[in-house]
Amino acid sequence: MSEATEDDGPRTFSPMKGVELTITQIVLIVAGLAVLFLIPEVHGAFDNIRLSTTHRGLLFGLAAVGLNLLLRHTGLVSFGHIAFFGGGAYGAAVLVEYGGVESSILLVLGGTVVATTIAIIVGYLVAGHVDIYFALLTLAFNQVLYAIVLGSEFFNYSDGLSLRSGGTGRPTLLGTEFGATEYNLLLYYITIIVVVVSLIVMYRIISSPFGRALDAVGQDRTRAKFIGIPVRRYVWGAFVISGFYGGLAGSIFSLLELRVLPDSTMYVFLSGELLFMAILGGFQTLVGPLVGGVVLTYFLDNARFATEYFNLLTGVVLLLIVFVLPNGVVGSAPDIAAGVRHRLTNPAQLGKDASTLGSLVVNNIRDAIETTRILLFGVK
Amino acid sequence: MLEARELIKEFGELRATDNVSVTFGKKAGEMVFIVGPNGAGKTTLINLLTGLLEPDEGAVVMHQETENGTVEQDITGMEPHNRVKEGLVRSFQIVHVFEEMTVRENIRTASLSNHGKMRSLWSIDDQHEEVESDVDDLLEQFRLEEVADEKAETLPHGDRKLLDVAMSFALDPEYLLLDEPTSGVGQKEKEYVIETVVEASDENNVTTVTIEHDMDIVRTYADRMIALVEGEVFREGDPSLLDTDDELRRTLLGVTPDE
Repeated sequence: MSEATEDDGPRTFSPMKGVELTITQIVLIVAGLAVLFLIPEVHGAFDNIRLSTTHRGLLFGLAAVGLNLLLRHTGLVSFGHIAFFGGGAYGAAVLVEYGGVESSILLVLGGTVVATTIAIIVGYLVAGHVDIYFALLTLAFNQVLYAIVLGSEFFNYSDGLSLRSGGTGRPTLLGTEFGATEYNLLLYYITIIVVVVSLIVMYRIISSPFGRALDAVGQDRTRAKFIGIPVRRYVWGAFVISGFYGGLAGSIFSLLELRVLPDSTMYVFLSGELLFMAILGGFQTLVGPLVGGVVLTYFLDNARFATEYFNLLTGVVLLLIVFVLPNGVVGSAPDIAAGVRHRLTNPAQLGKDASTLGSLVVNNIRDAIETTRILLFGVK
Repeated sequence: MLEARELIKEFGELRATDNVSVTFGKKAGEMVFIVGPNGAGKTTLINLLTGLLEPDEGAVVMHQETENGTVEQDITGMEPHNRVKEGLVRSFQIVHVFEEMTVRENIRTASLSNHGKMRSLWSIDDQHEEVESDVDDLLEQFRLEEVADEKAETLPHGDRKLLDVAMSFALDPEYLLLDEPTSGVGQKEKEYVIETVVEASDENNVTTVTIEHDMDIVRTYADRMIALVEGEVFREGDPSLLDTDDELRRTLLGVTPDE
C-alpha cells in the first residue's frame, strides 16, 4: 500500500493503481468486511441475523450494482433487470437438469454466459431508446422472458428447476461435495470474494475513459455524439456489463437456493426491487446498491412475518427515502455524520432545529388556512 | 474542402434549406461567417453538414488531399460521431456541456475521444499523459484555468460558451462549425470569445464556419461571408458587401440606402 502525496485535502491511500481511498473509507470497508465475516459466527445467536438473508441480500445487491452502471452513469432506468438475474439462475439450473453438470464453477460460468447473451440481444434492441421508452421496453422484455419460463415444460412451469442432481445431491464446490452447513458457509465466503472483486472491477470501469463516456451520454446525449462517442454502441456495452453482473449474481443465487423458481428470480416486480435497492442504498455511490440490497432483503424478510401489509410498508419506506434521504443510506451518510458532528460541538444548533421545525409547522398551517379561505371565499 | 451540394431539407410545408451549394475551406483555415435573418436556414445548414439532420436531397461531400490528388468522400448519412473522426466538429447555439462534470473533466472527455481512448475500460481516465497535456493547453488557451475544477453547471454564461468551444477544439477539428458562439454573451465578453476562437483556429489552421448576428464581428473577422435568406444563398463573398450591397443591407438590417 503506497501513500499518495497530497498536501491539501484528506490523506488518501492507494492500495492499487487508480484506486484512492480516504482513511474513513478504509475504516468503513474493513468494518463492512468484518461484519460480513462475523455473520456466520453470530448466526443462530440472534434471531434477526441470518446467514441466508445476508447471503441473498448480497446477491441481489450485486445485481443492483450492475443495474446501477446504467442508472447512475447513462441515466437510463431499466425496469427489467431481474431477467438477467433469472437468466443466470435458469442457465445454471438447466445445466444441472439437462447436462448433469455438478461443478459449481461451471454452473456459474454457464449461467453468466446465458444471462450475458440475453443482455447482448436485449441490449442491442433497447440501446437506441431513452427515458420512458427504454424503461418500458426493458420491462416488456422481462415480462416476455418470465412468460416463456413460466409457460414452458422445458423450464418446468411455475415449479421451476432443481439444482440437486438425482434429487438429493448438491453441486460441488472446488471439486468437493459438502454437507448442508459447510456448503452454505463456503458458498457464502465465495460470494463475499466474488462481490469484492466485482466491486473493484466496477470501480475500475467507472473510473475509466469508458466510464466518462457513459457519464457523457447520461448528461447530454446529443453532445456525447458530437464529441465522437458512438452513443448506441456504448449504451449497449454498459447494458451487457450490467447484465453480466445480474447473471453472475443470479447463478450464485441458484447455488444457494438449490431451486430456481420463476417467481423468485424472474418476476417483473423484482426488477422494481432492484431499482429500489439502488436508490435505498444510494445510487450515486458504488457500494450503495449493495448495502441497499442487504438492507431491503432483511427488511422484506422481517416485514413479511411482521405484517401482512408488508408491501404497503415497503412503499412507505420508499417514499420516506425519496423525501428524507434522497441520496440513499450510503449517499447521505457523510451529510448525516457532518450534521451530527456539528450538533455535538454546537448544542445551540438543536435549539435552532427546534425553532426551524416549529416555524415550518406554523407556516404550513398558515398556508393551509389561507388556501382553504381562498377556496371557500375566493380572493377578496 | 467541405462541400454542401444542392442540399434540400423540408419540414412539412416549409423548405428550410432550398438547393444550397456552398464550399468551405477553399483556403484551409479560412473564417466563413453565415449571416441571415431568423428562419433563414442557417442552423439547419449546419445541422445538415454535421449529421444532426439528413437532407431530403443533395449531398455533403468532403474533399481530401491525398498523394493521388483530391479524393471525394460522400459523407451524407454518416453518423455524427464518425463525422467527428473525419474532422467535422460543431458547437450548439444553446450550450451543450456535461453539466455535472468539472470544466477539466468536460475537456478531458472530449480529448479522450479525440485520442481514441474512449474504449478503454481498464485505464484511469485522468492518467493519459497526452490527453492531460492537451487539456492543460486548452484550459490555458481558453483562460479557464481558474474555474478548471468548478462544475460546468455553476459557471457564468460566458465561461460556459468558452468551455463549449474549448471542447470542440479538444477534438482537433479540421472544420469547426459554430452556431452563434457569442449569443447571450455581453458585448465585452463577446469580443473575447471570438478573439479566442480566431486565435485557436489560426494556430491549428482550422476552417471555421460561424453563424453570427453581430455585423461588426463579421466585418472584422470574416474572410468570406454567406448570406442566407429563406433557405437560399442570397449573397456570397467579401464581408464588405455588408456596406456596399444595398439589397443585402435592406434584407439583413432593414435599412434603406437613404438612411
